[in-house]
Amino acid sequence: MKVLVTGGSSLLGRTVANLLVARGDDVTCFQRSASGSLAADVLGDIRDRAAVGAAADGADAVVHLAAFVAPKAPWNDMVAINVDGTRNALAAATGGRFIYISSPSVAFHDEASVGVTALAADYSGSDGYARSKALAENVVRSESSVPTVILRPHLVWGPGDTQLIGRIIDRARAGKLVLPDGGRALVDTTYLDDAASGIVAGLDHCIAGDEATTKPLVITGGEPRPLRDLVASILDAAGLDRAPRSIPAPIAGLLGSVMDRVWPGSEPPLTHFAARQLSVAHWFDQRETRRVLEWEPTIGLDEGFARLKTSFGQM
Amino acid sequence: MVRIQRSNAADIKWSILDTGVGERGTIVCVHGNPTWGFLWKGFLETLSPEWRVIAVDQTGMGWSERSTSRTLETRVAELVAFCEQHTSGPLVLAAHDWGGPVAIGAASSLDVEAVILGNTGVGLPARTPMPPLISTARRFVDLTCRRTSAFVSGTAAMTKKQHREALRAPYRTADRRKAVADFVADIPLSEKDVSWNALQKSADNLANLDVPLLLVWGGRDLVFHDRFLADLLQRAPHADVHRFPDAAHLVPLDEPMATVASVWLDDVLGSRAARADSAESFAPADAFVAITNGLIARSEDETAAFTDRAGALSWKSLAQDATDTARMLVHAGLKVGDRVAMLVPPSSDLLAAAFGVWLAGGVLIVADSGLGARGLRTVLRGANPTWVFGTSKTLAAAKSLGWTPGARMVCTTRFPHAVSLRTHRSLTASKLPELRPEFEAAIVHTSGSTGPAKPVRYRHGALAAQRDVIVDSFTMWSERGFLTSFAPFILLGPALGVPCVLPDIDVTKPSELDFDRFAQVIESSQVDVAWLSPASARRIVDTAAGRTVQLRLVMLAGAPISTQLASSIASITGADVRSPWGMTEAMPLTDGVGATAPVADGTNTGTPLAGAQVVVLSLDESHPQPVANGQWGELALHAPWMFDGYDQQWGIEHRSELVVNGRRFHRSGDLGLIDASGNVHQLGRVQHALFLASQTVPSVHVEDPISAELGRQVAAVGIGPVGTQAIAVVIQAEGKLRLADTKSAARVRQCSAFVIAAVLEGELPVDIRHQSKVKREVLAVSAAEFLAGR
Repeated sequence: MKVLVTGGSSLLGRTVANLLVARGDDVTCFQRSASGSLAADVLGDIRDRAAVGAAADGADAVVHLAAFVAPKAPWNDMVAINVDGTRNALAAATGGRFIYISSPSVAFHDEASVGVTALAADYSGSDGYARSKALAENVVRSESSVPTVILRPHLVWGPGDTQLIGRIIDRARAGKLVLPDGGRALVDTTYLDDAASGIVAGLDHCIAGDEATTKPLVITGGEPRPLRDLVASILDAAGLDRAPRSIPAPIAGLLGSVMDRVWPGSEPPLTHFAARQLSVAHWFDQRETRRVLEWEPTIGLDEGFARLKTSFGQM
Repeated sequence: MVRIQRSNAADIKWSILDTGVGERGTIVCVHGNPTWGFLWKGFLETLSPEWRVIAVDQTGMGWSERSTSRTLETRVAELVAFCEQHTSGPLVLAAHDWGGPVAIGAASSLDVEAVILGNTGVGLPARTPMPPLISTARRFVDLTCRRTSAFVSGTAAMTKKQHREALRAPYRTADRRKAVADFVADIPLSEKDVSWNALQKSADNLANLDVPLLLVWGGRDLVFHDRFLADLLQRAPHADVHRFPDAAHLVPLDEPMATVASVWLDDVLGSRAARADSAESFAPADAFVAITNGLIARSEDETAAFTDRAGALSWKSLAQDATDTARMLVHAGLKVGDRVAMLVPPSSDLLAAAFGVWLAGGVLIVADSGLGARGLRTVLRGANPTWVFGTSKTLAAAKSLGWTPGARMVCTTRFPHAVSLRTHRSLTASKLPELRPEFEAAIVHTSGSTGPAKPVRYRHGALAAQRDVIVDSFTMWSERGFLTSFAPFILLGPALGVPCVLPDIDVTKPSELDFDRFAQVIESSQVDVAWLSPASARRIVDTAAGRTVQLRLVMLAGAPISTQLASSIASITGADVRSPWGMTEAMPLTDGVGATAPVADGTNTGTPLAGAQVVVLSLDESHPQPVANGQWGELALHAPWMFDGYDQQWGIEHRSELVVNGRRFHRSGDLGLIDASGNVHQLGRVQHALFLASQTVPSVHVEDPISAELGRQVAAVGIGPVGTQAIAVVIQAEGKLRLADTKSAARVRQCSAFVIAAVLEGELPVDIRHQSKVKREVLAVSAAEFLAGR
């Protein structure tokens, strides 16, 4: 199968591309800079519809991962990349399969998610990323004319991850790692390779009439743990002997709200959205996902942390 | 709007709420005053589409046509005409409040399959004043019902906020409320009132009703209170009753009455033939030896029958006191089947009173103080006793807190205003009834650790069978007695004809029984048997400090016992230690052999006693099926000494009952299995199972290996929706629930074969009565909240 992967320079994009190459698919990655994957690169901007279309020429499927992730960014940029960029990718999916990588945050309502399935993508709060991803998901649902699978991988992490793991370690090193309520919220995450294999399963199920094309699916490892335990395992893997400090969740929320308003740059240390996300549980009912995609995570947390430790050891 | 034609009167237009066709037939719902069809919201939503549900607005009420005032007779005629003209096929009538007399009045003219009634009445029960709300409304009928909305708003205020507006909506103006006032004015108070005969006819109809009848009752209704329920039951003894103890007047709107009705209709109109005969398990009447016989047989014996902190009471005195009590009660008018609440603390007074009530044919209502004041009120009002025994203290509480309205009081401590027992010593011999196995004997209550306490009804046949199985299975000698830390077990002493000793402890705190008190009782009396609660056993073990006593038999009951605890008790007492399986609904069920031998799976309670049958059912709420030996599931049981049913809890009783080969089995709610040797193993409670995505697991399967590894007590609970739960393990520790340290968490995850989401520590909640059952359902809620970040 000839597949175009957008956002191939992201850790997850690269891993998906490599997994597809490894099983013999003809893969092209589309992004602004070299993906570093085993696949062929076509460089370009997702906002450039012609460029996306050209890259997808002859492809049987488009796996759309390209997105702008930032805690705080101009809304216009968010819309241009995450919403209009998705329209461009969708327009390029003439080959008959479109896989849209969304996020569980599109359904976040400031409340704990306890064993839920993929709820409606109706987030309309202060977080630009979640809001734009929700808009984009609805664009895909309403405008797609080809079989489409929408997947929402939850908190993907693994060796080489600069987003989640990188930030935690940076803050821990600086002695600035704090967790709301001691990190008691039960949180599910997805190990990188498991997320990638889930996306590949989605690609394989992206056929007209398949149940996978009828509703968004959350992808997780299915091993929720208290945030504190997850952070402790990450710090342990990095060889850091530091315990995060605890602040009451309402104070974290308040701090986040203040920073939303006054922080000048695009990366405030905390946003209200992030504070709430870290304060309440996020874990999901995976039965439907696993049944529909005929997929199961194979690495899991403990093996994942072991691999993370190895990767730190090699650094 | 539908038109109702009547031969000798003008047509009238009714507003109805109609769900449209239903395969099973039509349920016509009749509201009272001053409500309207909206009252039956739950019926319309729940019973359709199987049934066509029609909630009518009576003439002048709700959104129906306003007209001249109606008498009960006219209302009955209009309902009959409506049903004849607008329904076809099987018909069920449901009614509430003053809709009750209308529907029951109509039932005899219609071909009805079943009748369902909410709080209602067909006349004032004997010795009952008109409820003040009604008499006031009637006295100032125009002011309260028509000119102002006082009656309408007052009624609406009884239900939840979101329903009030809808209830008031049709009655906004005085004109629209005319029928409300007329309805109240039509309530007949004496033979002179125009509707007196019609109400009498409804009452007669009820007595002659030969179709299934369900009464769904709110226990906190100020108008149609529990004495109306008793009155209805007297007129229609065949009725099934489901009581919501805490519900007020508007029970169709406030409680899942429709759900109970739905299950009930399926049962009575479908498969009632499959129900077991409840009397089937009793011994033939000629072989029956009543529970009172053990006491009467020793009535000339001067040795001690009962000993407690107040001293010893001889068999002779106890028999005399009990007989006197019985004679006094019979003389004072107690009839067989009358209910008598026992608010007497465990003592010789309690024994005399209880056996006196039994000898007189009364039914004991046993509710222990562990239920708390509110729980006591709920269970006592539910049982509706006509007599109450108490101390001056408990009777004062019963009076001031309204526990037993209308009941005659008997004070065991000579309360000045009550009948005193001892003054009736010289009473001429009243004839005592001959007890029969099918007579009701007692209503006892479950501990209420899992939801409200359930009223468990026993008949004399079952109590006699229980006595016999204890005598046959656990040799009890009439010379040597037993001691117990379970207060209700003292009733067993006179029943068995065996002396009984109650140690000097607060009976609600079994853990007060330490080794010293235990040893003191054994040394000072002749006991060689002890019935201990797990909390007492644990305390005795903790305080023994190497000392020992000599006992022949120790029975541990009340909660699953660890083999470690059983072994410790065995080495302290040198006794044969048994932990039979049992519950409020039936006990004991197994021989309890094997309590001290380590087992792989749960608690080994031994093999079923002769006459008891135990089956294991799959955890399938709708179609539980027996599973093979070795597989675990819900334990269900049958025994001649099991309870008769849950009193006035039709829905709960129905859910817990299963008929296998014509025998009534009780679904115990316990998880367990039967091993290859026939031993019944207990694995905790069904609601303590963990419903994971991959499988369903008894909590003990997760707990035992972890607890062994840590050497500490742990509880495992499921977090999140059934079928995709995550496991949280809580390690017993003092203080609030919190995350366990990361090292302990890692250790727990390492030693468990299951995926453990979270490891917490904190105080494990235990039940009040036994102080040893970990209330995992309570823990699950707090752990879920904690881990959700709420």
